[in-house]
Amino acid sequence: MTKFLSFISRTYVTLVFCIVFMPMAIILVISFSADSYLSFPPSGWSLKWYGTVLGNTSFMQGFRNSAIIAVIVAALSLALGLPAAYALVRLDFPGRALIRSLVIAPLVLPAMMLGLGILMVFTPAGLVATYPGLVLAHLVMTLPFSIRILQTSLSNLGTDVDEAAMTLGARPLQVFMQITLPRLTPGVIASSAIALILSFDEIVLSLFIVGPRLQTLPVALYRYVDERTDPMVAVLAVLMIALSLAIVLVVERSVGFAKAFGR
Amino acid sequence: MSLASTPAHIRIDKLTFDYGGERPAVDTLSFDIAKGEFIGLLGPSGCGKSTTLRMVAGLLAPTSGQIIMGGEDIVSRPPWERNLGLVFQSYALFPHMTVAQNVAFGLRLRKVGKEESAARVAEALRAVRLEGFGNRRPAELSGGQQQRVAIARAIVIEPEILLLDEPLSNLDARLRDEMRFEIRDIQSRTGITTLFVTHDQQEALTMCDRIAVMNGGKLEQIGTPVEIYDKPATPFVAGFIGRANSVPATLSLGTGGPRLDHEGQALPAPDLQELPADAGDGAKLAAMVRPHAIQLSRPDGDGLTARVNRSVFVGSVIEVELELAGGQKLVAELRPGSEEAQLAQPGADVALTWRTTDMRIFAA
Ligand SMILES: Nc1ncnc2c1ncn2[C@@H]1O[C@H](COP(=O)(O)OP(=O)(O)OP(=O)(O)O)[C@@H](O)[C@H]1O
Ligand SMILES: [Mg+2]
Repeated sequence: MTKFLSFISRTYVTLVFCIVFMPMAIILVISFSADSYLSFPPSGWSLKWYGTVLGNTSFMQGFRNSAIIAVIVAALSLALGLPAAYALVRLDFPGRALIRSLVIAPLVLPAMMLGLGILMVFTPAGLVATYPGLVLAHLVMTLPFSIRILQTSLSNLGTDVDEAAMTLGARPLQVFMQITLPRLTPGVIASSAIALILSFDEIVLSLFIVGPRLQTLPVALYRYVDERTDPMVAVLAVLMIALSLAIVLVVERSVGFAKAFGR
Repeated sequence: MSLASTPAHIRIDKLTFDYGGERPAVDTLSFDIAKGEFIGLLGPSGCGKSTTLRMVAGLLAPTSGQIIMGGEDIVSRPPWERNLGLVFQSYALFPHMTVAQNVAFGLRLRKVGKEESAARVAEALRAVRLEGFGNRRPAELSGGQQQRVAIARAIVIEPEILLLDEPLSNLDARLRDEMRFEIRDIQSRTGITTLFVTHDQQEALTMCDRIAVMNGGKLEQIGTPVEIYDKPATPFVAGFIGRANSVPATLSLGTGGPRLDHEGQALPAPDLQELPADAGDGAKLAAMVRPHAIQLSRPDGDGLTARVNRSVFVGSVIEVELELAGGQKLVAELRPGSEEAQLAQPGADVALTWRTTDMRIFAA
């Protein structure tokens, strides 16, 4: 009986695993195709599409833009998110509960709606198709995540340790820099990684406010797929997945994901 | 100025804190702590002990009242300017620092020189018997060791007052017993004025110079362990510290002196001085007597007649449940093998009495 159950559960896990990873596996295979169109399985093998992608100015421009934006977004997400999370967890002020629940509003609103709203504000402000515009738009997406992750890490820390430091003579800023922040490192790394990945992969909001002069990689990819499909698309997908995976691995290696999310 | 023989080191004066509940968590609490004294703050869960401690530490601003230290009200002083040591139940060590760095933290903030700091850290670690543990991380220590690091970290700065909030309640029973003596020993050697919060009466009785018993945010009584045990000031203290029998009685003030009756039977004669000040003839009172003070004799002897319900041998004593004529139950503790113990056969009738000095009388 137990044997049977264990067989069932193993089959189940394998199945779920397949459903999740099958598309990725197919994309990976196609990225090494020698064909000039998307087909599975490919009729021949080559690395030529990797070369094509790396030589494609539109994609390389997009990659550069996305990378710059993602790094800035991650930094700002932390810089803005940390004080906000601190205030929401540690300080008592009127309306705290309301703000706490409003913070995650951008996560529950349809991205389409957000994009439309952002477009309507950004057009008159001249922020469309600019770095600051894209950074701001992405922050709308990433800040709620950063604040939530940091909020969780911060409340898991409790106040005892900080209070002990305070009674030993540490002023609030000293407590924060020497005690709270070092203990918060896993949360800081996790929230930054999430912001980095979210921004780098963001497409819906970006679609509203990119222009011919400033495109992100996902938008460039999306536009390209609209017109034609060849294994270049698969190559790009593989590269993007690899990048996200690398970030996740760095987090896992440095702090461990479970710990980073405050468990 | 205090008229007490020892001047107050810290005076807590009408201290009140209101979280906004039905009643204040700490309600006009007042008592003095002498220099070098080890004071216990004892009371049931939720009586306001931690709240009091946090106010002394400066982590909570009192709703009203004063905390006088060195002749000055320190209520408006932030915690980092109070020079005190705080030890939590959770130890609250800095996990990203070594043991030595933990202990040195307060010294570093005080800009103590490197050599002096190292010497003082070593001395503090020696005081808590943790020499050689300086390079470990808190996570590599047992609970008892972590607690000792917390104590070392608090005493190394030579605080005005050491505040301990249930420091032993996370430890297992044996370690707790050991640490009791150790904490008391460290305190005696360093002479640091200490405020020790606990809900464990045994801990308070064995460790403290004086105990402040709190209930519902108010101070019930403050005194030495012996005073608290032998002369409880309120029925609450009588019931909370040790075991106590409470017998309802009616007062009559006749010519032959005061007399207490329970269901028509006379209790041992009360001392006039011991009666509540406002108790007049016919007042409903409660007589409190400890189980070990009750004396048994043959049913034809002096005292209240009672029936033995149960008699249980619990090692050092025999616990006997007695029932008075009206149904009131009492517990007595007898010495095994004594003559009294022979009388305490279940179902037997006995007479019971106690000495006037062993009886406390409260308004019912
Ligand atoms: N942050 C808070 N907000 C509202 N009420 C609180 C808060 N903290 C404590 N209280 C209430 O104040 C009262 C006193 O709490 P306190 O923590 O001082 O009790 P305690 O004597 O330390 O109890 P314990 O032995 O359980 O630690 C309790 O009734 C508690 O419910
Ligand atoms: Mg408490």
